[in-house]
Amino acid sequence: MLSYILRRIVATLPVMAIVALFVFSLLYIAPGDPAVVIAGDQASPEDVERIRQSLGLDRPFLIQFGSWVWRILHGDLGTSIFTNLPVSTMIGQRLGPTLSLMIVTLLLTIVVAVPLGVVAAWKAGSLIDRVIMGFAVFGFSLPVFVVGYMLAYIFALELEWLPVQGYTPLAQGFWPWLENLILPAVALGCVYIALIARITRATMLEVLQQDYIRTARAKGLGQGGILFVHALKNAAVPIVTVIGIGIALLIGGAVVTESVFAIPGLGRLTIDAILRRDYPVIQGIVLLFSFVYVLVNLMIDVIYTLVDPRIRY
Amino acid sequence: MSEELLRIDDLHVSFSTRRGMVEAVRGVTLTVKAGEMLGLVGESGSGKSVTGFATTRLLDAAGRVTGGKILFRGQDVTKLRGDDLRQLQGAAMSMIFQNPRAALNPIRAIGLQIADAILTHKRISKDAARAEALELLRAVQIRDPETRMNAYPHELSGGMCQRVMIAIAISCNPALLIADEPTTGLDVTTQKVVMDLLADIAAARGMATILITHDLGLAARYCRRIAVMERGRIVEEAGPRTLFSTPQHAYTRRLVAASPTATSRIEDLVTEEERERQATFVSKPRPEPAHGTPPLLQVRKLAKRFDQGSAAVADFSMTMAGGESVGLVGESGSGKSTTSRMICRLIDPSEGDIVFDGQSIGHVASRDFHRSPLRKDIQMVFQDPNESLNPRFTAFDCIAHPLMRLDGMRAGEALRTRVEECAERVGLPLDLLPRFPHQLSGGQKARVGIARAIACRPRLLVLDEPTAALDVSVQAVVLQLLDRLRRENDIALLFVSHDLNVVRMLCDRTIVLRNGGIVEQGESRALFDNPKTDYTRKLVEAIPHIETGPTLAAAL
Repeated sequence: MLSYILRRIVATLPVMAIVALFVFSLLYIAPGDPAVVIAGDQASPEDVERIRQSLGLDRPFLIQFGSWVWRILHGDLGTSIFTNLPVSTMIGQRLGPTLSLMIVTLLLTIVVAVPLGVVAAWKAGSLIDRVIMGFAVFGFSLPVFVVGYMLAYIFALELEWLPVQGYTPLAQGFWPWLENLILPAVALGCVYIALIARITRATMLEVLQQDYIRTARAKGLGQGGILFVHALKNAAVPIVTVIGIGIALLIGGAVVTESVFAIPGLGRLTIDAILRRDYPVIQGIVLLFSFVYVLVNLMIDVIYTLVDPRIRY
Repeated sequence: MSEELLRIDDLHVSFSTRRGMVEAVRGVTLTVKAGEMLGLVGESGSGKSVTGFATTRLLDAAGRVTGGKILFRGQDVTKLRGDDLRQLQGAAMSMIFQNPRAALNPIRAIGLQIADAILTHKRISKDAARAEALELLRAVQIRDPETRMNAYPHELSGGMCQRVMIAIAISCNPALLIADEPTTGLDVTTQKVVMDLLADIAAARGMATILITHDLGLAARYCRRIAVMERGRIVEEAGPRTLFSTPQHAYTRRLVAASPTATSRIEDLVTEEERERQATFVSKPRPEPAHGTPPLLQVRKLAKRFDQGSAAVADFSMTMAGGESVGLVGESGSGKSTTSRMICRLIDPSEGDIVFDGQSIGHVASRDFHRSPLRKDIQMVFQDPNESLNPRFTAFDCIAHPLMRLDGMRAGEALRTRVEECAERVGLPLDLLPRFPHQLSGGQKARVGIARAIACRPRLLVLDEPTAALDVSVQAVVLQLLDRLRRENDIALLFVSHDLNVVRMLCDRTIVLRNGGIVEQGESRALFDNPKTDYTRKLVEAIPHIETGPTLAAAL
């Protein structure tokens, strides 16, 4: 098992290397001289030259890349052009809200979507099934910002049950923290819930037709035991896969959601950095998101082997 | 022992399908006494399994009992609901299924799966249930049960999986066990072991058993009373001897005739009245090949090793003359399919050579062989006609495809004529040609598979268990067709099968394989009548024959 995990980690190294190369090239793919780009519109030629020197942009590409990677491996993501703060510090300050939002969304999704999918599959063809799947189509079709503003209007402005926007760190108490995250999580989770519910229903339907489900019935097992002990775990591999792929969806969605609900997270930082052409910050964030995504997929590969003994490691 | 345990009274079961209600069982009446083993025999679609599922209340959602009663110990099973039903299922009445590997949950250790059944019906601790599960594994004679408790189904053989199923089924000492094709798909020797075990357990525990099977021979060997079903009705019920010596109903007569026995010949496989309708065989002896002609196929020291581990086939040599039929028999894992695929040039041998009509083809890479002019001379008929036909190809496309690829024919009148000729050759009605595989019956699909294989007029036909998925009456017709093709078109047949009765009838010579090596070979009849090795003898003895065997004689 341990060697399997190690092998998987080693297998992710080339992926991370390619991602790093791509992220690093961002600056060069952008039109124009990187030094001019970084210096901004009002810089004098001396400023540009100073930046070129200080960033080592006059050295060959591969050497720049090498030293950049070397610094990253030592935890140095560079310095923001705009704020002059280390990028790692800036990311660190914004990590909490985004992480909170994503975890709450993920939990909400799993708790809501999987049981919905199971029930829909169990009652396939019935009214309940059609209502659930109808909601799923609805959830798919609505963009995050529309759902976000609608929710904020209904539950915050009209009913005044929840705060309109903002973020409170977990350190200031669980409820204040959660209170601020409920609406963003529902808005962000909508598409995700729809997706997972549909996948759960489809895989469960397939599993429920298998011979071993008939065996379970022949043993006299009750409906609950059949659904959750004998069927759900068998359906888990595709469901877990989609949950993992969906993390990418969450990352993209978080950027929008944080804007709508004014959450000071990485999403906001990303938008700000892009608007200010703060390349070191953009590079740092993209690198972090890619790393998280690769890590999540690694975890999913490990979960596979825990769920299904036929997958060998 | 004569107390009546189960009484099915005028049972009707219907399935709702896209084309409306289909009645699968139309008025079945039968009784099972405590402790007896009843055989329920019929071909696919006869309603025998549906009757079993209705009794254990395991019908699909689409199926419904539309009439009649199923009285189990006087209680109407069809009216039970909720907890009353669950107390019955798996406890007083249990079921084992065809394809045991699929019937077990692939990701749950087998010990847990047995314990599930116990815990559902008994209020005992998990440890106690585990201990009982272990005892049950011992009872079904699984070696090394302590380790096997934690094994998963994919780590066990088919026979072992069926033993685990038996263990689950008997875990709560049911009064009635319904076994639905329990040994279909298992090797003959495994089949015998599993059936013997099942019969012993049933006898020891006084359990009544309904053995649902398509195999008359199997039912005859283990049951004292056999009910024959056809199209949802029971057409005849009798003891095995009476059933075979004096079958009353026309369908039973056909079924008995179609079941191959140790002595039957291909032409015996239909009843006398049917035989008259068929064109009489011209049984001219095949002319001896002129002296000095090279054999059609020569295989020298063929071996195949897969990625790791030992050889799947080693040191396999054989020769075949044109128009000859050779049987390749052995249990699963004996290397017979691997060998046939190498000869067909679908996979590459690791060692050795294959010489076809004087040309060495063993070294042509299998992925390039489709370009060889010999590709159309060697064709293959695959095991499962349901799986080996492209669902998006009509019967016509399927037969026309090789003609276009290998004979260079273009779509047009000439192609249509050739396809129709092939269809006629295999007895496939021409109006079925535009149909897709799912619109054809198993026998019709088998004919499409054979028509496709003979379309390019091959000289060697390799058949991998071509009748394993077919009913006996369909099998009989397919075997006759193959025999006719061999006689009239001089096509050599390499027939891969685990069914020794079929091989004995169809093949001049037989080669017995075990663990990738040849155990014995020779003229078929002599080989089966006087096996020289223990292995062949074991294979021959394991075949359930229709003759009332010693097991039954002792029981009577």
